[in-house]
Amino acid sequence: MRRLFRNECSRDIAYTIIAVIIAVVFLFPVYWILISSLKSDQEIFSRVQTWWPKKIHLENYINQILNKTKTANLPVQFRNSGIIATGSMILSLILSIPAGYGISRFNIPGKKPILLTFLVTQMLPASLILTPLFLIFSKAGILNSYLAPILATATISIPFVIMVLRPIFLAYPHEIEEAALIDGCNQFTAFLKVTLPVCKSGIITAAAFSFIYGWNDLIYSITFNNKADLLPMTSGIYQFMDAYGTQWNMIMAYGVITELPIIVLFVALQKHIVGGLAGGAVKG
Amino acid sequence: MKRSALSVKAKDKSLIYGYGYVLPALIFMLALIGYPIIYNIYISFLDMTAQSIGQGHSDYIGLQNYITIFQDSTMWKALYNTFFFTILCILFQFMIGFGLALFFSKKFRAARYIKGLLVIGYMMPMTVNALLWKFMLSPSGGIINSIMVSLHLTDQPVEWLMSSETVMWGLVIANTWVGIPFNMLLLSTGLDNIPADIYESASIDGAKSVQRFIYITVPMIKQSIFSVLLLGFVYTFKVFDLVYVATGGGPVDASEVLSTYSYNLSFKTYYFGQGAAVANVLFVCLFVVALIYLAAIGKDEVN
Repeated sequence: MRRLFRNECSRDIAYTIIAVIIAVVFLFPVYWILISSLKSDQEIFSRVQTWWPKKIHLENYINQILNKTKTANLPVQFRNSGIIATGSMILSLILSIPAGYGISRFNIPGKKPILLTFLVTQMLPASLILTPLFLIFSKAGILNSYLAPILATATISIPFVIMVLRPIFLAYPHEIEEAALIDGCNQFTAFLKVTLPVCKSGIITAAAFSFIYGWNDLIYSITFNNKADLLPMTSGIYQFMDAYGTQWNMIMAYGVITELPIIVLFVALQKHIVGGLAGGAVKG
Repeated sequence: MKRSALSVKAKDKSLIYGYGYVLPALIFMLALIGYPIIYNIYISFLDMTAQSIGQGHSDYIGLQNYITIFQDSTMWKALYNTFFFTILCILFQFMIGFGLALFFSKKFRAARYIKGLLVIGYMMPMTVNALLWKFMLSPSGGIINSIMVSLHLTDQPVEWLMSSETVMWGLVIANTWVGIPFNMLLLSTGLDNIPADIYESASIDGAKSVQRFIYITVPMIKQSIFSVLLLGFVYTFKVFDLVYVATGGGPVDASEVLSTYSYNLSFKTYYFGQGAAVANVLFVCLFVVALIYLAAIGKDEVN
């Protein structure tokens, strides 16, 4: 292999070309959802597949955004997804950042079983807690509210975020904090004012992940909420399929809007997200 | 004397702070995960239905729910499908993911960026992925069938998700696409940690690349391989969104898996007791695997 390439540079180019080909093949589904969402119904079912729409049908988007189709109320469902994801993110950060910090900074007795608890809870299937949570939430009177899916999805992100943040807090030099203590901070204000800003990139990763986990949820929302005006995008798309059958262009357009916030977050924070996934998952 | 009293006090204080930071999250998780797990075991021994909840009392019926579900052929179908799906997904994800990880471990400038880009499918909502693959695998208008026909791999379109014979394979294809980046990323992290000088001394010894792979690469990232296989098992075994959206367990019950079966029993037919029993069977399968995992990595990770 090495003899083929005259120097480092041509080797670099050859590998890059292969990598681009891999990416094009592998990410084809992402391209296909976008292209199909801009096609007409006839073009989708035409005998010969087209790799680019003959005419760009933006109305697939516009009619849904303006809720002219009256099938799934996209504007309301987009808002619902946003509320659930944001609520879940805030709750998860409030609980998991201090927990990740406390477990790496202090040598508390019982640390091992506590870490094991977080590790194990991360792996559990939603089906296992679905029936009990439904009954508990029903008794608490929070079925058909945003709170139910917010509480439930936070259980996915909290253990994950703790595992992502632990190595970051472990690597953080505590001397900085001690200097703040001498300057008149107490332990908690030193954590808020000194430690958190230094570990900012870890916090951003944590926020991105907990938002995504909230946004992507399907099972908790469809189980705890049966009012149509509380459902998020992920369940809207499911409803949609029942109503539209095989109007794939409309369904794909709805799908693109559903994943839009995820793609924006991903592109903006790619390095953090990829690093966090590797770190959190390996440790978790 | 005075000094030790002071340090005891400081120690107490740090304990209070330590627990103060950790306990809220721990209590939250125990309340919303720990308690429900126990509650679920209890429910599985009750004759709990929508009706009995309405009456405010559910009879204790011992193991009857477990007997009922195992007498139903759908349960066996769901068990078989879940294992079939999990094992095949892991096999394909791991092989392709490993191949990609090895390729991207080559040192070239765009490697890190392009590798990162591949992860996007893994982050996308599973519901969208499910619909996207339902569309691509569809017999009319589906791109996969169009490509297969034009390459003469098949004379007429494969029905994939619409036929009971191919439905599980269709789901495996869709899930493998999602799982590959996860496998690639974790194995990449392992490969990055292999010191370069080990390879150098091996190539001086004249080791061929296949030998290098078998005798150096694989043993060096044993830990990563083990993690990715077991985590893959855990995440794949509990599949719900994909099956629920892409096939709904159908046609008939051809693609029913444990989690969809449990969901349908609890929330479609309102046999909460039986739904809880199916979920517990799922849990036992996972628990056994998780125990192996924790026993294997627990010593290194938790310190």
